[in-house]
Amino acid sequence: MRTLLHHLPALFTGWILMLASALSSAASPQWATLDWTLVETLIALDAPLSGVAQIDAYHAWVDKPRIPDTAIDLGLRTQPNLELLADLAPDAIFISPMFSHLTPRLSRIAPVESLPLYQADSDTWQEMQALTRKLGEHVDREKQAESLIAETMALINRLKARVSPTAPLLMVQFMDERHVRVFGENGLYHAVLEQLGIANAWQAPTNAWGFSLVGLEGLAAYPDAQLVVVEPLPVGVEASLAESGLWQQLPSVREERVITLPPLWSFGALPSAQRFARTLVSALEAQHDD
Amino acid sequence: MTTKELKRYQPTVLTLLLAALAAGLAVSALLPVTLSEAISLIWVLETPLMPTFAVVHFSFWPRLAMALLAGAGLGLAGVLMQQVLRNPLASPTTLGVASGANLGLMAATLFVPELLFWGREWVALAGGAAAMGGVFLLAWRSDLAPAVVVLAGLVMNLYAGALGMVLLLFHQEALKGLLIWGAGSLSQNGWSDLEFLWPRLLFGALAAALLLRPLQLLTLDDASARSLGASLKALRFGGLGVAVFITACVVSVVGIIGFIGLAAPNLARLAGARRLGERVMYSMLLGGLLLASTDLALQQIPGMLPTLIPTGAATAALGAPLLLWLITRLSLTTPHVSRGLPPHVASHLGRRSAVLMGLTLLSIVIALLLGQRASGWFWAGLESIDVLQWRWPRLLAAAGSGVLLALAGTLLQRVTANPMASPEVLGISGGSAIALIGAIYALPSPSPAMLLGAGTLGALVTLGILILFNYRSGFTPSRLLLTGVAITALFDAVRAFILAGGDPRGQQVLAWLSGSTYYTTPAGAIGIAVIAALGVALTLLFSRWLAILPLGGEASTAIGLPLRHARLSLLTLVAFLTASATLVVGPLSFVGLLAPHLAKMLGFQHARAHLLGGALVGALIMTSADWFGRQWLFPQEIPAGLVASLIGGAYFMWRLARI
Repeated sequence: MRTLLHHLPALFTGWILMLASALSSAASPQWATLDWTLVETLIALDAPLSGVAQIDAYHAWVDKPRIPDTAIDLGLRTQPNLELLADLAPDAIFISPMFSHLTPRLSRIAPVESLPLYQADSDTWQEMQALTRKLGEHVDREKQAESLIAETMALINRLKARVSPTAPLLMVQFMDERHVRVFGENGLYHAVLEQLGIANAWQAPTNAWGFSLVGLEGLAAYPDAQLVVVEPLPVGVEASLAESGLWQQLPSVREERVITLPPLWSFGALPSAQRFARTLVSALEAQHDD
Repeated sequence: MTTKELKRYQPTVLTLLLAALAAGLAVSALLPVTLSEAISLIWVLETPLMPTFAVVHFSFWPRLAMALLAGAGLGLAGVLMQQVLRNPLASPTTLGVASGANLGLMAATLFVPELLFWGREWVALAGGAAAMGGVFLLAWRSDLAPAVVVLAGLVMNLYAGALGMVLLLFHQEALKGLLIWGAGSLSQNGWSDLEFLWPRLLFGALAAALLLRPLQLLTLDDASARSLGASLKALRFGGLGVAVFITACVVSVVGIIGFIGLAAPNLARLAGARRLGERVMYSMLLGGLLLASTDLALQQIPGMLPTLIPTGAATAALGAPLLLWLITRLSLTTPHVSRGLPPHVASHLGRRSAVLMGLTLLSIVIALLLGQRASGWFWAGLESIDVLQWRWPRLLAAAGSGVLLALAGTLLQRVTANPMASPEVLGISGGSAIALIGAIYALPSPSPAMLLGAGTLGALVTLGILILFNYRSGFTPSRLLLTGVAITALFDAVRAFILAGGDPRGQQVLAWLSGSTYYTTPAGAIGIAVIAALGVALTLLFSRWLAILPLGGEASTAIGLPLRHARLSLLTLVAFLTASATLVVGPLSFVGLLAPHLAKMLGFQHARAHLLGGALVGALIMTSADWFGRQWLFPQEIPAGLVASLIGGAYFMWRLARI
């Protein structure tokens, strides 16, 4: 008893210290994530990020929203640097199911949450909203999540009113001068088109991320479609297309009505969807005005 | 007609059969356009064309012509390679042309994209030429002797491949287009590629025609050829140069097309083409027709798949079973690469092993204690002891797998007496990699245990295939290696196909394939270390067999060695060692190829010394590679397997050039 009494002051201060540190970490919890789609959503929700995988590549391919400078690069998405991650000690690590084989390792550092998007045979638009809500819960930003969803819906409705009737769109991204990805069902672009009430010309099967890989000759089967090319064009492709007999024969190309969109992350969530919807509708309007 | 006469017509019959098949496939691929309409569409002047007709004119015909031309080119290059290198395993890509072209394209895309404005073909050609130049330079002093050229080509392939893999790992988004090129797509949308290729191939074929007579001398052994007044070096340079030029031209336009260059010459020979002239002609015909039939058949697959099936990957995949079947029929009596590198004089073995051990210990200490964090470099002390929990499993796994692969490689090179032999070539790694890729793609969120199970299963199935196809022949080394080559070709095809599709899960496949200790668990690391220790003990038990087997089958039997029994036991052991290592560090580390050679170059000649020296070298390479890989581009990690290929490969080339 005496010993306990003797230790009481020390125990008490220890308890105070623990409480203080708990409070301070509760004041600014930090999150880490390996998945760019989760990154853009977390930034949109204004959740502080301490570690993100492949920041430079994110800025090259997703671009916006920008990752705050305070976040530290964790290395490759498939092999985040564990020593560094342990040093950062985030409150939770968010991954997509694609990286779930890392869970045993990552969970030694912090709780791991796996959040799915782009699963086969599910409605992408619904999935994106569900993902936003779930992330909101995990980072205590339910309100921001709801307002991100509401803001997206409002934007879509505004844009929908501006869309005038158009031919079905054939959305492609060049891989090299002979091959393109065509975006269809299961994908971000397709989901946005559906919301905007625009038809997608590509009805052939797509993978879980919503695209098919085809040779350029595959586009000839859709002479009536409006071609939409999503940048970036690989170097040299423009020159080879000028010499490509087949490309020059495509009605959209012959009539010089190909629409070009700036680079956009094609596997993103609501922030990418907003950007795509905005740029697409402006491009369609610009063409309509010509 | 006598049987002898029948035999004489066999190559013709085979060619005609294949031509009929290709024609049939072409007619059905054209539907609904009729053949006569299509023929009238070869030359059209009026535009615009109806979409279906535009596809026939701008896509179908150039594609068919491209397939025939590229196939013929690869067939020709294959014969030349096999003739000069005296090795039926040689193929147009043996000398690193394709991987050099690939690396050139990747580097240009990432660092000097302006170059690509001049045309992708030129960049690819330059990359291929640089790789070839490197090979020639390495083998120049040994008069381009086949064994040395083959080794130099192998190491060039793996070097360029490893560098390419590093670039790919860090820039997957930027390089996704090149993955399609790497899988070999014949898809065309105009005539310009064909206009680039045909004059160059014509030039190559003419050069080959001029070389035909002198090249026949290479069927003889070196001494007889020399006594007939041939300059072996000039002859080899000419033959290989033409083959490489043709390969580089083809590859630069349509990408990497596997198997045709290996299969067409072997098919021609099997069908009965004996003289070099005949073999060249039939290899070109068969190569063109094989590629065209495959490509036409692929075009029949309706748009059921969300991705195209690249023809190069498909030829390799279809070719693998064909090659397996061929192997059982091929009489492998051709003079074979049997001498490895001339041995280094062994003088200070004791001191050398002490130095090796010291270096290994040093690399272990550094790997455990020295590292980086966000604020910079630091030595792990008591206050940062936690960090060791991440380091020791990786270190142990690296050392263990290095030992395992080195042992497997040493065993294999001694059993087969072929310096090209390595666990990777045997196909065990490839088999388990195919199973792993399957698991990653088929399961929605695979757990580590599932991946481990799939990998083990793949390795076992591969071993089964190896035994099944080689039991009757008593595990003849060259047959065994060909079986392995077939399985490895299948793996390359699966990998190329998977990556070309652009599915984001490709990242995961890449990360695992590149051979990283990242995914090691503590239990796995301990397991691998125990297996490595057991492996050393087990292989030492076989050291008497291993001393005799390199002398060749007949000599071994004469001494009283139970040949089939010995080969089967050793093969099983190799499979077991390789599978354990592959599950930890992936299939592409090449330590199994390099470590035995390095040990030999260092003077570890006799079976026992070779095994132990190899194991030490393997452990040293892998532990230092693992550490370098983690620090070099911190926080990004370069997989140990790739770094091992780069470090080991550099040393290997340096030694090779000095032979």
